[in-house]
Formats: sequence, structure tokens, C-alpha cells
Amino acid sequence: MILVQEADFDGAALAAGLRARAGAQAGALVTFTGYVRDFAPGQPTETLFLEHYPGMCERELEAIAATARQRWNLAGTVIAHRVGALPREAQIVFVAAASAHRGDAFRGCEYIIDALKTRAPFWKRETLAGGERFWVRQREADHDKTQAWNAGADRPKEQQ
Amino acid sequence: MNGATINLLYFARVAELVGKRSETWPLADATTGAQLLADLQQRYPQLGPAARLRLAVNHEHAKATASVRPGDEVAIFEPVTGG
Repeated sequence: MILVQEADFDGAALAAGLRARAGAQAGALVTFTGYVRDFAPGQPTETLFLEHYPGMCERELEAIAATARQRWNLAGTVIAHRVGALPREAQIVFVAAASAHRGDAFRGCEYIIDALKTRAPFWKRETLAGGERFWVRQREADHDKTQAWNAGADRPKEQQ
Repeated sequence: MNGATINLLYFARVAELVGKRSETWPLADATTGAQLLADLQQRYPQLGPAARLRLAVNHEHAKATASVRPGDEVAIFEPVTGG
């Protein structure tokens, strides 16, 4: 299931829906939730604006989920991503992966959020509490981790 | 079908720099992503180095070596930052 929307989402309800669809196949369900955090210590975020490319966005998210299902034994996945103006501490993104066993559920969930960060056409614009406004730059570590997944790594480490 | 143009879409910082979100460009013959980015920078020097620009052709990420053909929808943006 893919959701791209301005409205907030209910992660517990999305996980319960996935659990119900996967049924007795799913012995494990892993979820990830991303929130609006402060840009840096001492630089509190006031608003995070999420822009996206409608159409391509949904297509990329479907492709990422399909790749995860090919690579691991998954009984189902959910990807929900918000767009528009989000206040500090708001939910941004939710990923869930269900599988017979925990290893595939963990890896599938982690792969999906990592691939989303480097492939799905979303862009973040920060507005800090002091009024400064700028577009966020992609982290080298995110790029490198996706390269490692693509090179066949079982579970690449995130460099800080 | 309009065969002599491409539809350009700009996102995020790129849209701010060029001051618009979309425009139609004439394109009589197929070109490459790299050539298109070079043409864009000539038109909009404020875009800065091409190394930071990415493109998608008809809703798919495309390399600089990819072909761009009349009738295509081409999106120009900086590396994505969702999640």
C-alpha cells in the first residue's frame, strides 16, 4: 500500500491493516516512523515543507516496494509519506514490512526507507525558528548506503 | 501529440532559482540529458554547477547519457531529500 498525502496518518492503524492483510503468513512486522526534528542542536526547526513530484513519486515508491518484495520474503508492505507544511515533531513518513520471520521484515523495512531517501522525488525545505529558510541537501551517508544495498550488501551500516 | 517540444518541470530549489515551475522548450531532434542540462545552464546561469542537477524523463530517473526526445516530460531537480 502506497499513500502520499497532506493529512497525518495513523501508524498503528496502517500496521494493523497490513497485519490483517498478511494474516497467518506474517510472523513478524517491522515499522519505521520518521518525524520532523530540529535541523541541528541549537537550530530548532519551525516548519518543514515537503515538495513532491506527483505521479513519479507514487511510481518510485511502488518500484521500491516491488524491489524489496523480490529481494526478501515479504508478506506485504506499507509506505505512507506526507507532503506540504509540517510543524516540528510532526510525522513525516511511515514504512511497514511484514514477513514470516524477523530478518526479512527488518531488512525489507530498512531497505525501503533507505531507497526512499535517495530515489523518491520529495524535497525538504527547512524554516528555522529564527526565520532562516533553505532547501535541505541530500546526505552523503544516505547516498552511500543506497549504493551499498544496490551492490548486494546484506545490511549496510549507516555512517554518521 | 506535440512532436517539436519538450515539457520541462522544475522542482524545489531549481524552481526557485529559475523562477518558474514549468515551461515548454522547442526540441526538433533527440538530444541527451547532459546537453539539455548544459543548455539550461546557459539560459539560467544562476543554477550553478551541473553536477548538482538531476533529471527524470517521463517519470523515471535518467542518467546524463539518456536520450531526451521531442514530446518527453523532463523534470529537473537537485538530489531528493524525502523520508
